[in-house]
Amino acid sequence: MASVLADNEQPEAVSGPARVGIGGPVGSGKTSLIEVLLPRLQERGYQVAVITNDLVTREDADRIRNSGLLPAERVLAVETGACPHTVIREDPTLNIEAAERLEAEFPELDLILVESGGDNLASTFSFDLVDYWMFVIDVAGGDDIPRKRGPGVLRSNLLVVNKADLAPHVRVDLDRMMTDARTVRDGRPVVLTDCHRGTGVDELIDLLVNETLFR
Amino acid sequence: MAVDASAITVTTIAADAQDRAVADRLHALEHDGRLETVFLDREDMSRRRLRAGTDQGTECRIALPREQRLFDGAVLLLEDGRAVVVRQEAETWLSLQAADTPSALELGYFAGNMHWRVRFDGAVLHIAATGELDAMLERLEPLLDGGTITRIHP
Repeated sequence: MASVLADNEQPEAVSGPARVGIGGPVGSGKTSLIEVLLPRLQERGYQVAVITNDLVTREDADRIRNSGLLPAERVLAVETGACPHTVIREDPTLNIEAAERLEAEFPELDLILVESGGDNLASTFSFDLVDYWMFVIDVAGGDDIPRKRGPGVLRSNLLVVNKADLAPHVRVDLDRMMTDARTVRDGRPVVLTDCHRGTGVDELIDLLVNETLFR
Repeated sequence: MAVDASAITVTTIAADAQDRAVADRLHALEHDGRLETVFLDREDMSRRRLRAGTDQGTECRIALPREQRLFDGAVLLLEDGRAVVVRQEAETWLSLQAADTPSALELGYFAGNMHWRVRFDGAVLHIAATGELDAMLERLEPLLDGGTITRIHP
């Protein structure tokens, strides 16, 4: 039931972990971003699990398990077998089942990160699967990506422009890319990250926990 | 983040504004200026967990169980002196008319390929355009310029 909070009162407990989608093109750095997010989320005291989606392998799940960043049993793999967006949008049953399994086995979870298989700019998540989703593009993909205004760029709750460190090497005008991204998103947040140096990651986590965990 | 004293946390939908008894209570509260409304677009209506503000500035931290859904008229808070109700914002629909069968086929194919949500209305195709009308018109430009597809609304 809804309640009005008094000063210093903590928000009423909400049921179950928040589910957060991470989508974006092949090679944009989704798995690398997760590898940077995990220790920082854990440092802040959050219990996290991960679901990965790969076309026909379990490469991303194996990579996260082998990283030692999470207990292996907290990483589940969904093999999509076909277009990656079908299992996060049209029929997310496999991912919902994986999330429910994690919730049942680890009731202490605060967050479940659902990594999509690499897809195109039209990729979006169903809100039957996730509570919030971010779309990861990268600087090396070209500074024209925001201007192409794909649904992932436009409609995600958070747009992540990753690999900021590569801008000088790929002749990308980073300022213009960020300006274009903010313009087409009409006020929705955009974060610039560099997973190697960790730049922008805390800002991303602040947004994430503020919007999904209300902290 | 500091806890806002005026924020409410919503972990279940309290009532349906269409229920007669509830509607009477809401009407009375509205009369006294104590009915607050959260306006959400269609996309946010499909979310279980989000922050949203009422028209009177109260922040709502909505975290519904997976089996519940927001709907137009969902009552988030119902107390003797105050209520909060969700209302879905009206959607913009782009209405296009095809002059002949080949054009209609091409338009239908294109709309499907773009994953656009449509309604069929005889020779008119209505396409949901929430927040993306300019981008959609840009993509439709070659078809519209061809002269066999006519934009009739808006």
